[in-house]
Amino acid sequence: MSTGDPAGLIHEVDDQSVAVQEETGERKIVARSPMQLFWRRLRRDKVAMVALGFIVLLVLVALFAPVIVSVAGTPDPKTQSSEALDVFGTPTGPSSAHPFGVDRLGRDVFSRTIYGSRVSLEVAFISTGIAVLIGVVVGLLAGFYRGWVDTVLSRLTDVVLAFPILLLGLGLAAACSGANGCFGGLIQPGLPVVIMVIAVINWTYIARIVRGQVLSLREKEFVEAARSLGASDRRIIVHEILPNLLAPLIVYSSLLIPANILLEAALSFLGVGVAGGTPSWGAMISEATSLFPDAWWFMLFPGLALLFAVLAFNLVGDGLQDALDPRRK
Amino acid sequence: MTRYIVRRLLGMVLLLILVSAVTFLIFNVFPSADPALLRAGRQPTAESIARIREDLGLDRALPVQFGDYIYNVFVHQDFGRSYINNTNVLDQIRQNLPATISLTIGGVLIWMFFGLSVGIISAVKHRTVFDRATIGLSLVAISAPVYWLGLVALYLFAPDFGVFGLGFLGGQGSYTPFSNDPVKWLQSLVLPWCVLATAFAAVYARLLRGSLLDVLNEDYIRTARAKGLSERRVILRHGVRSAITPVVTILGLDIGILLGGAILTETVFNIPGIGRLAYDAILRGDLPIVQGTVLFGAFFIIIMNLIVDILYAFLDPRVRY
Amino acid sequence: MSRSLWKTLLALVAAVAVLALGACGGDDDESSDQGGTPAQSAGGGNVTEKLFAGTAAENRANPTKGGKKGGTFTILSAGDVDYMDPGKTYYSYAIGVQQAINRGLYGYLPGDTSKPVADLAEGDPEIAEDGKTVTVKIKKGATFSKPVSREITSKDFKYAIERAFTSNVSNGYAGIYFRDLVGAPKEPGKYKEIPGIETPDDNTIVFKLTKGTGAALAGALSMPISVPVPKEFAQKYDKESPSTYGEGHAVYSGPYMVESDASGKATGYVAGKSIHLIRNPDYKNVDDFRPAYFDEIKILAGNEDNSVATRRILSGESMGTGDIEPPASQLKRLLQSNKPELSAVPGGGWRMIALNTSIPPFDDINVRKAVIAGFNRNAARQQRGGEALGPIAQHFIPPGMAGFDESNGINGWADQEDWMANPAGDRKLSAEYFKKAGMASGKYEGDAQLLIVGDGAEPDKSVSQITEQQLNEMGFKTKLRLVERSTMFTKFCGVPKEKVNVCPSVGWLQDFADPQTMIDPTFNGDNILQVGNNNWPQLNVPAVNEKINQSKLVVDPAERAKAWADANHAVVDQAPAIPYMWDYQAIIASPNVRGVQNGYSTWWDLNFSSLR
Repeated sequence: MSTGDPAGLIHEVDDQSVAVQEETGERKIVARSPMQLFWRRLRRDKVAMVALGFIVLLVLVALFAPVIVSVAGTPDPKTQSSEALDVFGTPTGPSSAHPFGVDRLGRDVFSRTIYGSRVSLEVAFISTGIAVLIGVVVGLLAGFYRGWVDTVLSRLTDVVLAFPILLLGLGLAAACSGANGCFGGLIQPGLPVVIMVIAVINWTYIARIVRGQVLSLREKEFVEAARSLGASDRRIIVHEILPNLLAPLIVYSSLLIPANILLEAALSFLGVGVAGGTPSWGAMISEATSLFPDAWWFMLFPGLALLFAVLAFNLVGDGLQDALDPRRK
Repeated sequence: MTRYIVRRLLGMVLLLILVSAVTFLIFNVFPSADPALLRAGRQPTAESIARIREDLGLDRALPVQFGDYIYNVFVHQDFGRSYINNTNVLDQIRQNLPATISLTIGGVLIWMFFGLSVGIISAVKHRTVFDRATIGLSLVAISAPVYWLGLVALYLFAPDFGVFGLGFLGGQGSYTPFSNDPVKWLQSLVLPWCVLATAFAAVYARLLRGSLLDVLNEDYIRTARAKGLSERRVILRHGVRSAITPVVTILGLDIGILLGGAILTETVFNIPGIGRLAYDAILRGDLPIVQGTVLFGAFFIIIMNLIVDILYAFLDPRVRY
Repeated sequence: MSRSLWKTLLALVAAVAVLALGACGGDDDESSDQGGTPAQSAGGGNVTEKLFAGTAAENRANPTKGGKKGGTFTILSAGDVDYMDPGKTYYSYAIGVQQAINRGLYGYLPGDTSKPVADLAEGDPEIAEDGKTVTVKIKKGATFSKPVSREITSKDFKYAIERAFTSNVSNGYAGIYFRDLVGAPKEPGKYKEIPGIETPDDNTIVFKLTKGTGAALAGALSMPISVPVPKEFAQKYDKESPSTYGEGHAVYSGPYMVESDASGKATGYVAGKSIHLIRNPDYKNVDDFRPAYFDEIKILAGNEDNSVATRRILSGESMGTGDIEPPASQLKRLLQSNKPELSAVPGGGWRMIALNTSIPPFDDINVRKAVIAGFNRNAARQQRGGEALGPIAQHFIPPGMAGFDESNGINGWADQEDWMANPAGDRKLSAEYFKKAGMASGKYEGDAQLLIVGDGAEPDKSVSQITEQQLNEMGFKTKLRLVERSTMFTKFCGVPKEKVNVCPSVGWLQDFADPQTMIDPTFNGDNILQVGNNNWPQLNVPAVNEKINQSKLVVDPAERAKAWADANHAVVDQAPAIPYMWDYQAIIASPNVRGVQNGYSTWWDLNFSSLR
């Protein structure tokens, strides 16, 4: 059983590895494990902590969207209102009834921006999770077993990586947007399609990285030691290799999440994301493209929301990377 | 080295065939518009539809259709004809390629210039205000969706309706090919270049900065300084030279991806490039054009990968194939 | 990271906030314009005509007044023509191009679209009383362009129609309007002579039919199928599958032609991109109504964003819209500041939300009436520009067409059919109809989940969403799918097997000036196809089919109008759909253009428009 970090993934450059306890008046020497160092460094990174706080706030907003909207007194995001449009059907801007204005169906932009957080977060978390799952499985199998398993899986990864990303996403999403979805109706148009498409695009990056890590890990002494003790393949994978993948996986996932928020928004912007009524920041910006010179409000607010959400995740991701390897700073 | 290149090229051909097969599958297993009906017009009869289907070869078994397609592409360079308007796919791609290439090259030049210089300066002035500001701003630039930046840029600077309308810029949809009018070509691309370059410049600045910081800690840099070389020489000649490898890798990949069509930028600014062509074709179920653009895109991605790997061999003497 | 970075980020946020607030100030007219829904009853008069008075639409009445020769007209379009071959094309935008480069037997002046005018024909077609013979006399002296360069004869019209039936040309409407010709092929195939088309001399052509549908055939002679095609030149291209006549090689009979080389190859046509028209040097004005003012016409595709294109046209010179229109959101501004650049004509068609009458729940006429009664048609129309761009449609013959006035014009039969009376939606009346259908709550009570398939592009996307909302309010569970327009037709709404319940993005345009073209393909049960179906409600009521089929045989124009108005009434009585607009087609041109809009093609008439 490996404790700490035999793969040397966490770098101990910090002088915090050894501390002096002042409390009891005694000078004691306390060793800290690399994981503890990791968390310590992260906690001390103020900007990353603030960003983390923002993410927590975002999650709360997504969870309590209905409450927020009713407190603000704006209509729910799907209510259409032809009264809020003028005679020619042009949407009206920010007013007391609609603090962020309305869109072309008279729906309140504030409500839709708040609810849009749900789609962005749901899609990002779920699709990243699935991508990581698939990627880890593929990378593990390819790196550990090598041989023809590796060849087949690596070729598969290559094929997906050779595709222009957005085209692949567009093609899959467009193909599955028919009345009955695809895979025999298992995947319905809208949110499920977007999640599947993003997962399909993303697993390759994880697979490549995991494969590389596994290839180097399997040569390490502790694996050899476990093997000589008679441990089965499964035991080695689960007990020796997986724990050492944890740190880089956390870091890469944290990088994937903001990228996937942007990817979902891009797919919605291009018209193949979530279905019409559901608010999505990308779809809202897409609707704004034809109207934005006159109706700037429903381009601005969802765009800012996207910017801040992605920025927060990027900051946290940066913080995680720095905590993992402080030399980078 | 030659054997390595030949092996990679053969691998590329195989990869392209596989990519094409996947595209073919996606579009046939989950079909969108029926191509025979697309051609048939407003009030078609069952006979005319059946006949068009036969003409297009759609009544044959899928593997036969696919094999035929691959054969035509690789042996005759015939990418087929569009389902919508029967135009030659290769011609359409050739027409749209210059716009994409213009967008890519201009963008690359701008973001490399700014990205690299900012990256180097940040690394040198490590931990100063300048450094921290650039990290922060670059994170913001990376976090904003490029199409949103495009819309905001247009809202602010578009010549006809922008808040601070800059007259020398070309408006949306004003792209003219370089051969028609170089001045207009330039004007129409300035804003798209800047928007495209913003996010990439940020990425490259951070990348080079990180890489350079690592390199500047190495022993041989200390040795170079000890030898009395000027700081500038140390940084540029020795530091950047080593630090540039990850940048080259990523640059190659990014160029490959952009040449396959920067759909988002092209959509916002109405630039008639490969991205636009592919996007329209996908939505309309025009499989031949989709196949063509996907193949071109994949080709650029794979070939840039190869070029990058070869360049690696020159830049890093430890790498030998 | 340090405080200074934090400050930088805060400053950025502040800057953005300031920008946002600052931009608020400039939009006062927007926010104060909280206009309510236009209070329009069914009989609201034609607001559109009034609004567009003073625009270039007025040029249509006097299309040659103020015309100046010279200059180049640049047209911005989103898409390309469907075909350059006059025998194949079936798209009003493309027909507009044909009007400049070719002359057919009959055509349309920009102003009056209720009746075709003689083009290469000499006078009106003579239709026998039994409707089985149609005789047309042809003008002498008109010629083809190089390399054919000879006089056009009746045989060239005969060949044009015969080739339309071949599989290499496969005209989309030949089989509808010309199928009753004696000896006409039953399905597209190899080239065959049609004995039913007789050419007793070079200037006379006689059509003999097996059934009395001569009036429709005569009307269809105003479509490009009647553009003469020289057999000796075209045959070699017609042998290709598909024929390359038109996009490759062609000859022309109009004042303009596609720029070509000596062999007749259309070098000026770049498929999917552009069409370059120049003056036809071999054109002789033989009693032609076309003044042909411009020297050159450039038609450019690829302008998908219509708000961008509109801005370019208005700020540029000598430009005009092709198959695109100015966005409804800009219309208010345009009507205030750009009247001379704007024009609008009735689009020659209707838009509707089709209800599938062949499967539950809409197989019950009371449920249909309930939905139509309760539906807010104003909200749907608002997405297309609202009252300014057309009246609420109350039936299926559009304004300007024979049979419209006979159908009580703009009001239709609203007084008899109470479910059509209130375009804002009357939920009380709707509840009553639901009760008649056995649903005591006054809302839909069944389990059916409605499949709605709409067009994903605006404004149809918004109309689809409004449709879903309204149906939900009336108690239906719905599943809305937004797909690309051609997919919607070819894969869903046009395929009965797909069992789509509601198609909110459909509409129909006239083929030519005759009400048969608006009602027969779309509501005749005999015309329900398994693929490519245009009878979206799948209405199949024998009494209605009979009325429609009978009206096809009427020859006298006044009686024909009355007959079709009756058929119209019968269709509306079946409540098969929610017609919501007879939309006008608004177009825009640059300030230095004196634009004349053609009521048939609905965009700029390339022959009559000129510089100021």
